[in-house]
Amino acid sequence: MSVLLVIFLMWAVTYPVRWLGLSLGRLHLPPFWLSFLQFVPVSVFAALVLPEVLGSPEWPRRLVACVVGGLLMWRTGSLAPGILGGFAAYWGARLLGL
Amino acid sequence: MPLWLGMVPFAVAYAVTARAAGLSVLETQLMSVTVFAGASQFAAAGLFASGANALGIVATTALLNARHVLYGLSLSRTLPLTRPQRVLAAQFLTDEAYGVAVVRGPQESGGLSFAFLLGAELSLYSIWNLSTLVGALAGAVLPDPGALGVAVVFPLAFLGLLVPLLKGRLTVLVALASGLGAWALSRVLPGGLVILLAGIGGALLGAFLSTRSQNTASQA
Repeated sequence: MSVLLVIFLMWAVTYPVRWLGLSLGRLHLPPFWLSFLQFVPVSVFAALVLPEVLGSPEWPRRLVACVVGGLLMWRTGSLAPGILGGFAAYWGARLLGL
Repeated sequence: MPLWLGMVPFAVAYAVTARAAGLSVLETQLMSVTVFAGASQFAAAGLFASGANALGIVATTALLNARHVLYGLSLSRTLPLTRPQRVLAAQFLTDEAYGVAVVRGPQESGGLSFAFLLGAELSLYSIWNLSTLVGALAGAVLPDPGALGVAVVFPLAFLGLLVPLLKGRLTVLVALASGLGAWALSRVLPGGLVILLAGIGGALLGAFLSTRSQNTASQA
């Protein structure tokens, strides 16, 4: 499937959901499904991160990067120092021969 | 303003990852113009890089953006919109715009208005697309993203989204279950499907545990 078609389909599954929410102001979702939707980001983000770190051939370097980056993000509360610090830690580990 | 500071590195990182995954500058930019959903764009870039199935990419996008229905529901309760306003506002509705609208909107004189919502949405949209362009062009200048280890930016960026969400034991438990589950599944299944299954599984676990604890609390 071409990249352009994938992009179009991604848009086609994103826009209607946003519109639907704005249009269904009086609808009440059952608590279980409200809770499900609230947990989707945590769950998906974790599923994206862990295999990319632990399943990678260079997993020790990536683990170092994510531990350093994660701590920086947690302490500073912002993204940029975490990404930059994590990337620096990755290179530190790589230069040390990890 | 602090939101812009958060968006710029994320958009640049998305664009660099997308370019490293083999997308053209135009394709990278087109995704920011149409889809305009940071996390799912980034996830798609990572999945393109791993050669995941196209339908897996679309299904992951659908799952990730299903949460936008919550923002719409919440906004439409406090801010009645006409049909053309809904059609327009929906294209640009994101986590950040929702956050600004519900936190800052009521502080405006006259309360939250359509103009305020659209203004917040469009300012974020411009920053996101501008940063995408910068990242996409920077990605073209970098010699070889693979040799530079740019791939590590992908888990780092998602870690940056994950860390602020880890409030309390339940979210940590859901993240661990989903992350470790995805790692185990990734040995036997293709990438797109792994994210989808682990993502749904983790969210179901969270919903099950949180509604169960609410029920026992209300019965006690």
